[in-house]
Amino acid sequence: MKTRSAPPITPSAQFSTPTRWARTRYRHRHAIEAWTILTPILIYYTIFAVIPVLANIAISFTRWNGINVAPVWAGLENYTRYLKPPYPLIMFNTALFAVVVLLIQTVVAFFIALLLNEKLAGRGAYRALWYIPTLTSAAIMAQLVTVFIAPYGGVINNILQSLDRPPVVFTISGAWMRTVIIVFSIWRGVGGPVVLFLAALQSINPEVQEAAMVDGAAGWARIRSITLPLLRPMMVFVLVTGIIGAFQIFEPVQLISKGGPFNQTNVMLTQIYNDAFVNSNFGVATAGATIMGLILLASSYTVLRSMREEEG
Amino acid sequence: MNVRKPLWLRITLHAILILGSIIMAYPLVFGAAASLNTQADFIRSPWFPTPLSPTLLNYRYLFFSADRFPIWIFNTLVRIVWFVILPATVAVLCGYVFGRLRFRGREAAFMFLLGSMLVPGIVYQVPLFVMLARWPLAGGNDLFGQGGSGFINRWPALLLPGIVNVYYIFLLRQTFTTIPADYEEAARLDGANTLQILTRVYLPMLVPVLMVLVIFQSVNLWNDYLWPLITVSANQSIWPVGLGLQRVMEGSVPVRGMQGFNQPFIFAVATVAILPTIVLFLFFQRYFVEGVQGFGVKG
Repeated sequence: MKTRSAPPITPSAQFSTPTRWARTRYRHRHAIEAWTILTPILIYYTIFAVIPVLANIAISFTRWNGINVAPVWAGLENYTRYLKPPYPLIMFNTALFAVVVLLIQTVVAFFIALLLNEKLAGRGAYRALWYIPTLTSAAIMAQLVTVFIAPYGGVINNILQSLDRPPVVFTISGAWMRTVIIVFSIWRGVGGPVVLFLAALQSINPEVQEAAMVDGAAGWARIRSITLPLLRPMMVFVLVTGIIGAFQIFEPVQLISKGGPFNQTNVMLTQIYNDAFVNSNFGVATAGATIMGLILLASSYTVLRSMREEEG
Repeated sequence: MNVRKPLWLRITLHAILILGSIIMAYPLVFGAAASLNTQADFIRSPWFPTPLSPTLLNYRYLFFSADRFPIWIFNTLVRIVWFVILPATVAVLCGYVFGRLRFRGREAAFMFLLGSMLVPGIVYQVPLFVMLARWPLAGGNDLFGQGGSGFINRWPALLLPGIVNVYYIFLLRQTFTTIPADYEEAARLDGANTLQILTRVYLPMLVPVLMVLVIFQSVNLWNDYLWPLITVSANQSIWPVGLGLQRVMEGSVPVRGMQGFNQPFIFAVATVAILPTIVLFLFFQRYFVEGVQGFGVKG
């Protein structure tokens, strides 16, 4: 390691006759150091991140209980399962939740960020309040929701009882359960985009806004012609990460509605979990995971493309 | 824009923000208030469970009658320490390699690592479960991974995956590219080697970004649920706190002396599960904001 401590500009100055080996080592010192560090990390990464993805694709073409018997080649059988009930309904629910949650969450976050960007007393406290739900455990909060909607002794039915109204059994209504899951997901998901939009708004040069004001652009016109275009990169980021998050709703479905009633709230992630770890059908589960991965890649790509086209 | 807004506008803005904040905070405030009630008091005040005669009874049940509660806390802390030290080391090393060194294959290696961010978690989780269950010579398995249950329901399932975290590698590389090379060159002239430069020159400068890592890892591991559910759900004594407390709320883990559907107790458990992350946030708000922005703004 002598050569490394030599001055970087004239390495040969210290060594009257540097050996060929020493010179080679000096010339490649960055590469040697980089690959020494990277090799173990890349090996770990291959074992724990690359092989699982490849294995997921491989298992998806087999029939396998994941335990002892060897997997049996099944061709596209597991993928065609996704065309038969209840899988189309599950995919529809996943897309429905993703689109509704993403749209409402992004619009609400954008306007709340606009409000928080105004110079108002206590805006730090408001911002904190909007971000706190994001920090809560989805499993704990989902379990808490069951206390609110329980048919007997639940918070909402206690209120109805005090008003002499009959109790509502929310869990047997598909519309109610979908609403609960959507509201829950927005409640937990809106904080991140608020912080992101706020950061982007604060990085806009105030002079740009002032110039627009002088030109007579006010209110909505200013937002549409100045703020929104400047926020486009952040909008892309919020939408792409938002899609990935909204497609992976798990805890509220698993713990509040259990996919019910009659699969009306069941989503891909809970179905994959149940296919693998409850029904021991690893072929169908990995096929579902592959389909979900492809859908997410396609939708992220679409968002990126459409935002770029609008720009150009 | 130093024009002071008219009073009516300021009142309207505050009204919208206050209304929004009430909606956001309602379930949490409701839960915290309810947890201080006895069940009889709770049922008597359906709209809002104002703790008229506050009691810590429900917390006492959780702390002293849920036998494994302290172990779950301890398990979570072990995972936090492990998943701070190792991913931070990997991220600092990779940040240095990708942000400081020039070598052939750098972009390719970086893209190779970044690729995993496009893949949703479940695509790894099912095969990783199989891999851990079939790990050779572990948990009664033979050389070919048959016969036993491998690492399932054992500690390695909670510690092996997740050491290389690409998000933090990305964050650290961004940070390294913003640090001028002068510091490193000066230290090299003084004869420092790479390890010394990393620990003595760079590490002090990386403290803020490493704080982001510590805080995000702490919150994520405190709330971790799906992976422990998949891998260790049959072994209560190695559960992290998120899984354990959800099961206590569900009623599937018995608590001595607790019978039936006791809402104030469930709210107390939820409050204990949620409060630490909120306290952490209130103390380290600026790091949270930096962490959330880390990608959006710099990337």
